[in-house]
Amino acid sequence: MKQFIERRKEWLNALRVGWFLALRQVKRSNKGTTALIIFIMVLTFLNLVVVSGLLLGLISGSFEQYRKSYSGEVIVTSAQGRNYIENSQALINYIAHHPQVTSYSARYGVNVQLLGTLNDNPKKNERPNRVSGRLVGIDPISEEATTNFSKYIKYGENLDPNEEGYILIGATLLKKYSTYADANIPGFDFLDNVDVGSRVRVTIPDSDNGGIVKDFIVKGIVKSKVDEVSTRMFILDKELRRLLPVNKEQYQEIAIRTDYANAPALAAAIKGFMGSYAARVQTSDEAIPSFLRDIEKTMGVLGNALSSIALVVAAITIFIVVFINAITKRKFIGIMKGIGIKPLAVELSYVFQAIFYGFAGSAVGLILTFGLLKPYFSANPIDFPFSDGILVVTPWSAGIRVAILIIVTILAGFIPAKLIVRKNTLDSILGR
Amino acid sequence: MIRVQQLFKKYQDGASETIVLKHLDLEIKTGEFVAIIGPSGAGKSTLLYQLSLLDKPTSGEIWLDEVKTSELNEVEKTAMRLNKFGYVFQDYALLPELTAAENVMLPILMQGLGHHEARRKAERALGRIGLESKIKSLPSQLSGGEQQRVSIARAIAHNPIILFADEPTANLDSANGRVVMDAFSEIHDDKQTIVMVTHEPEYAKRAHRIVTLKDGRITSDERGEK
Repeated sequence: MKQFIERRKEWLNALRVGWFLALRQVKRSNKGTTALIIFIMVLTFLNLVVVSGLLLGLISGSFEQYRKSYSGEVIVTSAQGRNYIENSQALINYIAHHPQVTSYSARYGVNVQLLGTLNDNPKKNERPNRVSGRLVGIDPISEEATTNFSKYIKYGENLDPNEEGYILIGATLLKKYSTYADANIPGFDFLDNVDVGSRVRVTIPDSDNGGIVKDFIVKGIVKSKVDEVSTRMFILDKELRRLLPVNKEQYQEIAIRTDYANAPALAAAIKGFMGSYAARVQTSDEAIPSFLRDIEKTMGVLGNALSSIALVVAAITIFIVVFINAITKRKFIGIMKGIGIKPLAVELSYVFQAIFYGFAGSAVGLILTFGLLKPYFSANPIDFPFSDGILVVTPWSAGIRVAILIIVTILAGFIPAKLIVRKNTLDSILGR
Repeated sequence: MIRVQQLFKKYQDGASETIVLKHLDLEIKTGEFVAIIGPSGAGKSTLLYQLSLLDKPTSGEIWLDEVKTSELNEVEKTAMRLNKFGYVFQDYALLPELTAAENVMLPILMQGLGHHEARRKAERALGRIGLESKIKSLPSQLSGGEQQRVSIARAIAHNPIILFADEPTANLDSANGRVVMDAFSEIHDDKQTIVMVTHEPEYAKRAHRIVTLKDGRITSDERGEK
């Protein structure tokens, strides 16, 4: 016990002397060199946090767009094997009166064929200017309240609830606007020469009488990075129901807007109300397509790989800095040992210096990340083909990275200090 | 107090071998001011390194009071250097990032004293050699003579039993050299044991005893003027 207390006392004293030396060495070292080392540490920190954060942000941006432009925080769709949500009207009444629901949009859709050229018959061996797609009936007012739909109408105008005979077409279906058009993928057709103001013909297949046909005027082009929006066509819900005809109370999907944090509770409440046989109830996070989840995992792995490289770079940087610092002061280290300063105290002084560089770099990096980069990327997302990339970094994830960086820094500072301090005292003093 | 028996030191560099100290016997009593002199290569500094436990003899023994130093491990030697010895190096050997007071404080802090107590002792030691006004100066702001006096203050501030000095005036002009030697004389007046290596006979005469080395052997051991 006495030996333990004695050893503890020696450790504390070595810590104290190490701190005394480190503080003064940092305070009185060359300011330019210190600034350069901190700058390198800031870059290392940004490499550690921002690069992986941006990679994840590309996918998180996609999740966010899916939620904002299509699903809302909770989405109810027809159960497996059903054409529509059972007892839709009762569910809509429930949702409409639920205190946590901000807004909702109920939709009904049908697969249709859309003909872009109405007057000319196609030449021999030439396919007609036609695409297949999903025609969705919407109420423009509730859709606007739920998904801010008009934001995605890049050309033309939104539907008017009192004006029938108009259609909105997703940009992916149009040769002029689709980002896939130049790929020439077999079986992947686009409408040519169709733009705002064009007349198009919708055919709803019907096995009994050859299909329901109606002509529409294109009122707007819908463009979003979410396929559920940009590959569809939209007309007024009441017009679609008259065309089909379909029961007024039947819907296929209901997007519900609520507070993001309330989504699981609201989804559970709706499940409790409906039962699983009648509908499929998911939060936006649950509804996200699995390929996006796979990309998220891949990005996570990539981010971790890049972070690991950044950590190795940080470790090497600190190692070199401390090694050079220690080797240029080898004589003084020898003198300190010569006058009885414990090697541990000298080693700790270098560890403290390394920690200082690690902390200073992290602190500046945190300020840059949360004060500048995160707000910047939120305001100016990276234009990625299927998302608007943001910077995903939380105080918790950044804190963990700071902790890892500091641990690596301690090791990278201690090892070179130990290498130099262990050298023969007299050889160090005499520079041999 | 220090007893040297058959001290032998050789350096091996590949096949070549250099014998520096040849079976020396020496005794230094408490309170003595011993100057070790001799021509270059005589083994003066090597002897000082062995006495001050900075180096290990090839054979022979050094006793410090009743302690057989060959039986001490590195940690014990470091503790002995801290608690019982003081060092003045030829080139002052002050840490450039520490002020005069902080340089002097360092060994005192290592001994476990609190910051304020260490500071007080350091200031007193600096005052003792007339450097009160230079307490906050960095080594780069001091002249060579002042730096060496700070080095002396650092060596005596923690009240060592023996003060070792290796050519303390070698890098100084004659005026500063005299100031430094005056400081040693004053310290010795307070019964401080001093072992000083010098190649300057004028300064050696100010010691209590002059030991002359030549080719690794003691050729004379006589009283100084002090």
